[in-house]
Amino acid sequence: MPIRQKIFFLTIAVVLLLVILELVRRRRLRVEYSWLWLASALTIVLLILRYDLLIWITGLVGAVIPTSTLFFFSILYLALLSLNYSVRLSDLTRQVKELAQEVALLRSDKDER
Amino acid sequence: MNDRVLVVIPVWNEASNLHGVVMELRGARPDDDLLVVDDGSTDGSGEMARRLGCRVVTLPFRLGYGAAVQAGVKYGLRREYEVTVTFDGDGQHDPADVAPLLEAVREGVDVALGSRFLAPEAYHGGLLRQGGRRLFSLLLRLLTGLRLTDPTSGLKALGPRGQALFALARFPDRFPDADALVLARRARLVVAERPARMRRSQNRHSMHGGGRAVAYTFNMFLSLLVAAAGRESDLRG
Repeated sequence: MPIRQKIFFLTIAVVLLLVILELVRRRRLRVEYSWLWLASALTIVLLILRYDLLIWITGLVGAVIPTSTLFFFSILYLALLSLNYSVRLSDLTRQVKELAQEVALLRSDKDER
Repeated sequence: MNDRVLVVIPVWNEASNLHGVVMELRGARPDDDLLVVDDGSTDGSGEMARRLGCRVVTLPFRLGYGAAVQAGVKYGLRREYEVTVTFDGDGQHDPADVAPLLEAVREGVDVALGSRFLAPEAYHGGLLRQGGRRLFSLLLRLLTGLRLTDPTSGLKALGPRGQALFALARFPDRFPDADALVLARRARLVVAERPARMRRSQNRHSMHGGGRAVAYTFNMFLSLLVAAAGRESDLRG
């Protein structure tokens, strides 16, 4: 990996890390979600510093060029991430429904009294 | 005959039909309490229900038919009604059909359904709907052994155990139809049908109309399998 590329991608990864930490510090991002993003950013840093790791994984899964390994796992990662969001959304939907019903029932209690 | 009965009428923008439905129910069933669950209507259905002297639960935004029915059932449970009846707000149900359902509950049925196919000369819906209903009947029979002719009926009477089932947090709250019955059987409730005349609905946004029919069928199909394969914890709390 040419040094120019390394510097460029490292900069991006570091900025990403700082943004995540700042979001957590300002309580905009809940701590329990932050580890995932921190892990993502650190993975990027790791792959920049140890490009041979990517080549090793490429051989392991039987891919031809490292780029396809990178893209494959990125897409897989994003798909899993949105699956995770769907699950959380389903939970939230149920919670919102229960809350809305509770609010409506409490209000009718109050009105009837 | 002195059971306290709550008739739950879920409505979403039914201002044009509500007056007739309430008047008819009052005439046929003067002793029952009427509860209109206003599912985020924007046409003043809730206000109208209040003026008509009904009890009203107003959901802060639209939750959908199943969740509206569920809110009504929860209301009934908290006020300890013996029986809760669900009755559509679009005028397609006939108040005269409520009595046989209550009778069934009194005989020990937990979930009594009004079936249009047991009633003579009734409106059976279009060909597509009939086909869909057949399909669900068949699936339901395969999954539960229940022989029901009209598993998607919105006219139901729920005994105490039926009410408890409908109030579960994980109860299928989109369209509690056939999948609800699968759950009912898994919870060992007694499910039975009685004849009920259905009229052609006055209001064409009623639940399963139009292009949503395909989506509905697909969702119901999945929902049935989920209900059948779900965890035991679905049946608690």
